[in-house]
Amino acid sequence: MDLLIQQLINGLSLGALYALIAVGYTVVYGIVQLINFAHGEVFMMGAFGSYTTWMLMGSPTNLSIGVALGLVLPAMILGGVLVSVGTALLMERFAYRPLRNAPRLAPLISAIGLSIGLQEAVRLFYGQIPGFPDSRRAIPFPVIEGLTGRSIQVGGVTIQHSAIFTLGALLICAALLWWFVNKTRMGRAMQATSQDADTARLMGINVDKAIATAFAVGAALAAVAGVAHGLRYNNIDFQMGFMAGMKAFTAAVLGGIGNINGAVVGGLVLGIVEAMATTYIPGQFGSSAWKDVWAFAILILVLVFRPQGLLGAKVVDRA
Amino acid sequence: MSTLHEFLSRWAGPARWVGLGGAVLVMVAAFLPWAYLPAALDNVTYYGEPSILQWLGFALGFVTAACLVASPILAAKASPRTRRLLNLNRGATAAATASLVYQAIAAIAVALELGGLITLEPGAWLGVVGAAVAALATRALHAGSDARLRYLPTPAWAQILGIVVVLALVLVAAAYGLGLEDPGAFVAFGTFCGLAAWVLARVGIMGWISAAAAANRSALVLASFVVAFVFPFTQNGSDANMSIAAGVLIFAATAMGLNIVVGLAGLLDLGYIAFLGAGAFTAATLSESAFATLGWHPPFPIVMLIAGCVSALLGLLIGSPTLRVSGDYLAIVTLAFGEIFRITMNNLDGSDGPNITRGSNGIPAIPNLDVFGFNFGESHVIAGFDIGRFANYYWLLLLVLALIIVVFVNLNKSRIGRGWVAIREDERAAEAMGVNVFGLKLLAFAGGAFLAGVAGSVKAHVDVSVTPDQYVFMESAFLVAGIVLGGMGTVGGVLVGAAILKLLPEKLRFFEDYRLLLFGLLLIVMMRFRPEGLLPDQRRQLEFHAEDDELAEEADAQALPDLATAGAALSATKEDRA
Amino acid sequence: MNRRLAAAGLSGLLIASLALTGCGQRNAEPTASGGGGGKKVAKIGLIAPLSGGLSAMGAGMRNSVDLAVKQANASNAIPGWELQFAAEDDQASPDAGKNAATKLTGDKDVIGVVGPLNSSVGQAIQPIFQSAGIPLVSPANTNPTLTKGADLSKPARAYSTYFRTCTTDDVQGPFAAKYLLSEGIKKVATINDKKAYGQGLATAFAKAFAEGGGTVVSEETINPDDKDFSAVVSKVKAAGPAAVYYGGEYPQAGPLSQQMKAAGLAIPLMGGDGIFDPAFIELAGSTSNGDLATSVGAPAESLDSAKAFVSAYAAAGYKEGYSAYGTYSYDAANAIIEALKVSLPSASSASAARSATVEALNKVKFAGASGQVAFNEFGDNTSRILTVYKVEGGAWKAAKTEDFQ
Repeated sequence: MDLLIQQLINGLSLGALYALIAVGYTVVYGIVQLINFAHGEVFMMGAFGSYTTWMLMGSPTNLSIGVALGLVLPAMILGGVLVSVGTALLMERFAYRPLRNAPRLAPLISAIGLSIGLQEAVRLFYGQIPGFPDSRRAIPFPVIEGLTGRSIQVGGVTIQHSAIFTLGALLICAALLWWFVNKTRMGRAMQATSQDADTARLMGINVDKAIATAFAVGAALAAVAGVAHGLRYNNIDFQMGFMAGMKAFTAAVLGGIGNINGAVVGGLVLGIVEAMATTYIPGQFGSSAWKDVWAFAILILVLVFRPQGLLGAKVVDRA
Repeated sequence: MSTLHEFLSRWAGPARWVGLGGAVLVMVAAFLPWAYLPAALDNVTYYGEPSILQWLGFALGFVTAACLVASPILAAKASPRTRRLLNLNRGATAAATASLVYQAIAAIAVALELGGLITLEPGAWLGVVGAAVAALATRALHAGSDARLRYLPTPAWAQILGIVVVLALVLVAAAYGLGLEDPGAFVAFGTFCGLAAWVLARVGIMGWISAAAAANRSALVLASFVVAFVFPFTQNGSDANMSIAAGVLIFAATAMGLNIVVGLAGLLDLGYIAFLGAGAFTAATLSESAFATLGWHPPFPIVMLIAGCVSALLGLLIGSPTLRVSGDYLAIVTLAFGEIFRITMNNLDGSDGPNITRGSNGIPAIPNLDVFGFNFGESHVIAGFDIGRFANYYWLLLLVLALIIVVFVNLNKSRIGRGWVAIREDERAAEAMGVNVFGLKLLAFAGGAFLAGVAGSVKAHVDVSVTPDQYVFMESAFLVAGIVLGGMGTVGGVLVGAAILKLLPEKLRFFEDYRLLLFGLLLIVMMRFRPEGLLPDQRRQLEFHAEDDELAEEADAQALPDLATAGAALSATKEDRA
Repeated sequence: MNRRLAAAGLSGLLIASLALTGCGQRNAEPTASGGGGGKKVAKIGLIAPLSGGLSAMGAGMRNSVDLAVKQANASNAIPGWELQFAAEDDQASPDAGKNAATKLTGDKDVIGVVGPLNSSVGQAIQPIFQSAGIPLVSPANTNPTLTKGADLSKPARAYSTYFRTCTTDDVQGPFAAKYLLSEGIKKVATINDKKAYGQGLATAFAKAFAEGGGTVVSEETINPDDKDFSAVVSKVKAAGPAAVYYGGEYPQAGPLSQQMKAAGLAIPLMGGDGIFDPAFIELAGSTSNGDLATSVGAPAESLDSAKAFVSAYAAAGYKEGYSAYGTYSYDAANAIIEALKVSLPSASSASAARSATVEALNKVKFAGASGQVAFNEFGDNTSRILTVYKVEGGAWKAAKTEDFQ
């Protein structure tokens, strides 16, 4: 029983990470019907942005819990958000916007190019900055006192502080996002654009700005996910975005792409499925080596049999 | 730029003489040393004795001068009809611009290889300055109208002779280019080849060649095949380049299969490498390797068929969701499928599944093919030339590729091919017109996969060992990029794309670390500025430039047969961009 | 007008013919590259991933071989001969490795090659070097089948030109098992990354551990590109082992150790030389104290040849560190150089001395940076001196050195 609960918690906290990234796919898809394949790299840039912020602060270590949680961590999140939002906006402006009316394959291939290009740029050039660590291999993430390596013991179940952070971040971000999309002018402009861009433009909505905002919102959440990733796994590297992005996309599709709640639910479900598959599928196929296969198999099955996802998507049929 | 041009065009008369002066400087520069040390390019340190690359620089200068001199003579002496056959003013501008690019690249290569501008000798400076003068001056010439050489009635034998000469030049260039060890020399030579083709297109000769090619298609195909067949004889028995060439052919064969799926049917497949992998693993497990996990070793032709069928089955499996999903969703489904394939191959090792592929160890020590008593691993002496192991496989692959091209071309022209194009353009409209959409989509997947499987079965023997880490997502991305780069839906485009993507990294080892970065940037830039590829299919080019009326008219105006030919399309777009 | 055409065609042919004649003339001249003061030239090649994700290791291999070649030239190790170094990139892929191999075998000056890093590349290029008769000495291929053939119960050397300076999985795994048993640990779990190295190591360990009287309570696998090990760790924790043996490399082992400890599984993680790297401790963090690794040879502090290598490497001022396989690469290059001392002096050219070099490699014996270097009848390193290292206070400290039989 302990094992079941433990794996449920493992799955939930992993799923929260997926969900934070998945929101980015879903928001952008909802508004421009574009799979931003390079979103995983935006997540990676967020993690590197927060690490850079920490370096620029003089790589503080051995702080009191108050300073670490009250000052250093918020600064790192802010730095990560700035970097990833900047990356996403540049991507949107120079790679995607010119292709908005091009045939469908063009932006997707562009996105693959962006994804490879960003990974390589970080790999080759990040470590060249004087005083920065070699980025061709994993970089240890800063220790945040009170979070890194700490855990709570509840009976036989261990709950890590970083897991609590990830889940908490997801809750706060989802609430903020709900408020933003439904209660602000810009949020309603985004909704209008996603329903019908031409009509929205006629109504005086700045469609370009609404689309750019969607990219920015997704990127901000991805940056938070980047910090959560660093805290959970204690390291970041230039390749961290590819698999995470694929899984997050799976989560977005699972929940119903274009649907923000769906991305959250999809992420959590996917995380739990992965954790449970490792433990409860008997025999040779229960090994952890197969868990990605199960995740992708779910993606294919959902796309084939319930393309609108668990909660239903805005737009399903796309040729 | 236009104001500059207006300003210059007032000086068209004197500009001809200035341009001529620049061209002469370029020619003179070839006889002076370009570099301080012999290590750069192909040793450009001699006085009065140009290296091959210097001769090429001389040639561009010579063509500039020849165009500049001949143009007024032609205008004065020849009949209006004759005069319009070639556009020598445009040729002069192009040749001078090409000169400038070539001289600059050569100079940069020297400076990079020897470390600094200080290593440049006067010849390099003179060449760049002369070419710059000529390029600027020739911009003042009146551009004139399109060359009409392509409409010149020419007897068939002359056309065929033209094709043969062009292909012979291609062979000489390929053999020479592959033999260049120095990366700077390779870049300079490659640039020269591209520039030369461009200059020929501007003068109007390329138009004639493509018209000739369109009129004598079978001669062209035969001659190309002969040239490709003869290629190993130019290698002096060295296997180093043949190994690269074999790699290019495997890549091209696989990309050609993918071209059916992406280029014709418009279904983006991001997991295509799995089909090549399925073919390779099938061939490996059925081979005589001591590591093969199945005890059955049928002869290779049967293995080839089985490999193709296994891949085709996988193609059907992955194609079946296409009934329900399309567009980007399909791309992601195929990507997921590719990942599943890789992980599964990694897991079928006896500890996480049945032992079929030996997991990440893969199946090594696959013996050489021995078909009808011909052992592909042994060197043979044919007509005094050493033909090594990779040259043997090169020929086999050439056959496979030829087969795939035949299938591709015939499908493209058939009812099935038109059905695919209809699906690509508008699935619903196609269905309404009675096209069996689902069946044709499945056929595209299964057919493309079959071809990739056949290519994979040969690859297993060429590579000697088959491991899952050869079949990762990045390889699928490279395949898609090869098609996109060359031009979707065309045979020539895929061949060019394959050659560029496989050859450049081998030859340009100095940017080995920047390879993927440049690759990523290339994809973005291509999609932004030339999404139809280098050698596009005319129909597809129109799709990407729907708003471009000029291009559409041009396409209409041209005679139908040469629509798809490379040269015409190339010159058409250049015109349109100028 | 036909004249113009003919002229254009002629000029094209002229250019081509000029180019070809130009080629003939200049090649007749003596080239400047022969150099070296009248010495004959032999090249030592390298095949390693110089680009891509593993380029840090590849660069360390390249620098170490470069160092060995420079030292040999400086000390005039082979009178009358100048050694040159030719490094080729295999991008960690068999395809590119194959091209690199044919390029090296096609060079008549190449007399020995160090590499590759990946066993998968090794499998692909072994036959190419076999047919060229050029020795290939790998510093990093640990898969036993590379030397002993498909059936390990009936070992037979498949490629007579293939050697390696690293030890194979079937030495390090059992050594680790013996150590854990001697420390009184009877229950372990194994985890491996499914790569040739890791899987071989974990399998060999588990077999020896069970034979030695211990119990393997859980055998798990992970994907090498995984980040999240929480599910696996929870599963292992439920089985209640006293130690975890990990077959794999430090990029996964570091985070795995960290996640184990954070999840409350406070038992030592042990691995092979793939985790014996300072980067493991960086990634695993402060909770990695007590983690173990085995590595070949005696500790560098106790071995003069190792100390000499480390200081010479530092003095040469390479940009990259020598990484996990630097010492083995240095030894591999020196093994070839030792063999060349026998085979080259009497040879007329490098290509003529190839088979003699292979012969001589079989008899090479010297003290290398990783320990004693000599090859047995399969081409494997005979050195069986192994050391267990333990993380103490944020650094690897030697815990036990033994001549393991």
